Amino acid sequence: MKVGFEIHIQVNSRRKLFCNCNPKDDDSSQLEFRRRLRVSTSELGEIDPAAAFEIKKGLNIVYVSGDKTSCLVEADEEPPHEPDPYSVEAAIKVSNMLNSFIVDEIHFMRKIVVDGSNTSGFQRTAIIGLNGSYAFRGKNVRIQTICLEEDAARLLEKGEGYVKYELKRLGIPLLEITTEPLEISPEEAKALAESLGRTLKLTGLFARGLGTIRQDVNVSVEGGGIVEVKGVQKLEQIQKVIEFEEKRQKMLLEVAAKLKERGISEESFADLKPIEVSDVFKNHSNILSVKRFFKDYAFALKAPGLKGLFSYETVPDSRLGLDLADICRLFGFKGIIHSDEISKYDFGQDILKELENKLEISENDGFVLVFGDKEKAVLCLQMVKERLKMALKGPVAETRYATEKGTTRYLRPRPGASRMYPETDIPTIRITQEMKDKYMVEIKSWEKAVEEFSSRHLINKEMAEQILDSEFTDFFENAVENYKNVPPTLLASLIVQVFIPYQNSGKVIEYDEFLKLLDAFSKGNIAKEAVIDVARYMLEKGVNLESALKEMNIEKLSLEELRKIIKEKIDEALQENVEPSKLYGTVMGRVMSLVRGKIEGKIVNEEVKKALENINKA
Amino acid sequence: MEKIQEFSRIKFRIKDAVYEGIVMPRTLYEDEDHFTVKLNNGYNIGVEKGKIEILEIEPPKVSSEQPYEKGFESTGPKILILGTGGTISSKVDYRTGAVKPAFTASQIVDMVPELKNLASISVKTIMNELSENMQPSNWTLMAREVYNAFKDGYEGVVIAHGTDTMHYSASALSFAIENPSGPVVFVGSQRSSDRPSSDAATNLLGAAIFAAKSHSPGVYVAMHASMDDDIIAIHKGVKVRKNHTSRRDAFKSINAKPFAHVDVKNLQIKFSEKKTEVEEPMNIYEKFSERAALLRFYPGISEKLLSSIFNKELFDAITIEGTGLGHVSRKAFPYIKDYINKGGFVGMTSQCIWGSVRLTVYETGRDLLSMGVIPLEDMLSEVALVKSMWVIGNGLDLKATMPKNLRGEISERREAL
Repeated sequence: MKVGFEIHIQVNSRRKLFCNCNPKDDDSSQLEFRRRLRVSTSELGEIDPAAAFEIKKGLNIVYVSGDKTSCLVEADEEPPHEPDPYSVEAAIKVSNMLNSFIVDEIHFMRKIVVDGSNTSGFQRTAIIGLNGSYAFRGKNVRIQTICLEEDAARLLEKGEGYVKYELKRLGIPLLEITTEPLEISPEEAKALAESLGRTLKLTGLFARGLGTIRQDVNVSVEGGGIVEVKGVQKLEQIQKVIEFEEKRQKMLLEVAAKLKERGISEESFADLKPIEVSDVFKNHSNILSVKRFFKDYAFALKAPGLKGLFSYETVPDSRLGLDLADICRLFGFKGIIHSDEISKYDFGQDILKELENKLEISENDGFVLVFGDKEKAVLCLQMVKERLKMALKGPVAETRYATEKGTTRYLRPRPGASRMYPETDIPTIRITQEMKDKYMVEIKSWEKAVEEFSSRHLINKEMAEQILDSEFTDFFENAVENYKNVPPTLLASLIVQVFIPYQNSGKVIEYDEFLKLLDAFSKGNIAKEAVIDVARYMLEKGVNLESALKEMNIEKLSLEELRKIIKEKIDEALQENVEPSKLYGTVMGRVMSLVRGKIEGKIVNEEVKKALENINKA
Repeated sequence: MEKIQEFSRIKFRIKDAVYEGIVMPRTLYEDEDHFTVKLNNGYNIGVEKGKIEILEIEPPKVSSEQPYEKGFESTGPKILILGTGGTISSKVDYRTGAVKPAFTASQIVDMVPELKNLASISVKTIMNELSENMQPSNWTLMAREVYNAFKDGYEGVVIAHGTDTMHYSASALSFAIENPSGPVVFVGSQRSSDRPSSDAATNLLGAAIFAAKSHSPGVYVAMHASMDDDIIAIHKGVKVRKNHTSRRDAFKSINAKPFAHVDVKNLQIKFSEKKTEVEEPMNIYEKFSERAALLRFYPGISEKLLSSIFNKELFDAITIEGTGLGHVSRKAFPYIKDYINKGGFVGMTSQCIWGSVRLTVYETGRDLLSMGVIPLEDMLSEVALVKSMWVIGNGLDLKATMPKNLRGEISERREAL
């Protein structure tokens, strides 16, 4: 098995790659505008069928443009400006750091993208470095390319025939670092991604925060094509995804072997066409399942040799049937019914027999069935046919996406050579030897960085490493700077115990509310013990600070009130004849359970001791 | 360093890796010290000659690629699409990265498939000029082609044109053709047509729909109405100006509403002004003279400049783009007076772009009137210039014809909206 990575990491420049917008600014207003991307019908055939279908239907794209974080360049209403010099420098630095050959001229290219994520219909991208290397566990991992490119717009919504994107992220400079496919284990792959990510973070050239680093993982097994898995955001996922892919791809090799055994070849698919089977269902309109699925049209496709192979899987969620369902969803269908599962829909033997007759099903054949209008159904089944044909070869090159669970789902066919042509609005940029000699950055040691962070902030090394690995390094450092009477250990706990676990759920954290929390603690309005609990509550319930405090009933206790409670609890304990040696412990326990978080534990301790002393004196 | 033929396939070594690629042509603005190589992954890189070790060279193959020419059908009213040089339709050759014009009927229908059932289109390239290079002789040629097209029975004509001077050409044709038999719609694009985001296709679609179906003869300009792709504005050729260097909706009707809008999603025309009627006979006055000039007035304008322009030997008509309601500094008075006395025509427009000139309101204006300066009301200065070139070229009387509203270039009223 071979694994390769494409790491995309945002450069921490003050401006975007091709304009002067600062994506960190606060927008004061927004506007929306509507576009459609066009590709000539002759070219449509070269794009993947589902994308072509979307365009042909007339995919409506709505763009949301914030007034400060995007401008006429992002709206594709103004030509791009000269590329950001800071980003070009960063690219040269990283290329040097990774021992690459740096090109003498940067030629920006237009890479066609028609899903709407780039307003111009293409992404601007350029190669800066080639053939680099990265030392990892005694090996030299080859770095194929280092590219400088613009990030895409962020998808906000997707509906029937329409998508909505936000332009804030469009144009942010990205470095894309691609490794060659390596023969490594899933664990090693994860470690490599972690190591490379850490090295890049320590250069200080890149933005930190949610979504600033994304990786795509390419997995291939012997005898199969390269499968690209997009959107593997977290390192933990990498290992799971690779393990899943390895198993899924090996399973597809088994399916291919089985098909061969059954005498199926490309020939078997040659004359295959989607067939209308609406009549079969019309004749049985009284059957419940027919009423449920059938409106006016039904189409089916014979699947030679595929009996039992739609549902076959060696690891959960890897079966071919799922891929076919995903393909159909691209065309707007809710799903597809295949012969391995049709019995659970209770269409009855008559319908099954009629279908089998009409489709000329023999012993080992299966079939697939969709309900819906002709144009969609035929295009969809044609794409399904291609997919089934590919099953003969085993795992084929395609693009998938990673799910939370660490499985992968079909996204689209792998495009052929990318449709790229020169970005003629931007003149070539000369990289002189001087520049190559000047722009350097070294590989810093992670262990040293952790140690330094740990000793600078007086927090333990485990926490230091977790914070440095997380999206929250900036938040931590800013908070340490601005809230000097919040102990760094408390901040570290906040990040490690609350933010990091929460972040793995994928939801966004509103920092402003947490800064208010730190503020409240600074002013002495919340006890130290409460901070973590309140933070957790805020995230879990999705409420702001004010609501959290109200709902949790956290109001700081006055000394008077504390003393009252302590007296109560002491009286109680004395009444129960608690042993003198156990008195302190009992009282402390009972008092703390009432006042925990409302007042410093230290103070409670002092007061209880004092109160007990007074009693002894008395 | 050996010269390698463009489009040769080469195998070369960088450090310890071997790469394959195609040698790309260098552009006029790039030096000869570097190669541009297109790698197998599609990217171009620039490398210094001598830096890479070339292992193999394969001479270029003769490209057997046929230009896309699929049989096509388009039915409906006959319209003619004239090409003047703007690349409203182009195709990218991904092998070389070159953007090639794709201006045949089938290529246009390939780009705008909606045309198939809307109009029966014919296509003709009549010249190949960037619009900034257009000359009055080009306007004459365009006018002739349009006149002949109507004589040949076309329902409407679409003219693909660069956007920089499209409004000048539209004005020229408005005057040159009296009573056109159908709509003449100029169309261009702000984002080049090789991009998926190009406004070319929808602009062309809007223009074609209006040309084929509006039955409202006249000369118009069709471009995006806003940043959205849904609506194409149809502006009267003599009331429109390019007001932004790059936006899709750069063209705006001035001192008027856009004449109509075409909803290119639902393929419908909505008129804001009353449709025009066909009138007979159609006549062509195709000449334009270069003995006219346009002068934008500004504080501190040099008297040397004034004396060279207000020169009856060189120019029969000067259109002034005055300030405000149509004013110039008194410094210019003697030059203007002298020029008019020698028989020259001076027409006044405003550099404010919007609004109408009024020389009766202030002293300066009244002085200019008494000198014989002719106010041109709310005529755009570009339109006035083209009109004066046309009047002189066709031997008409400037004083009588310039202030007369011939083609709607002067609005009787300006609405508050």
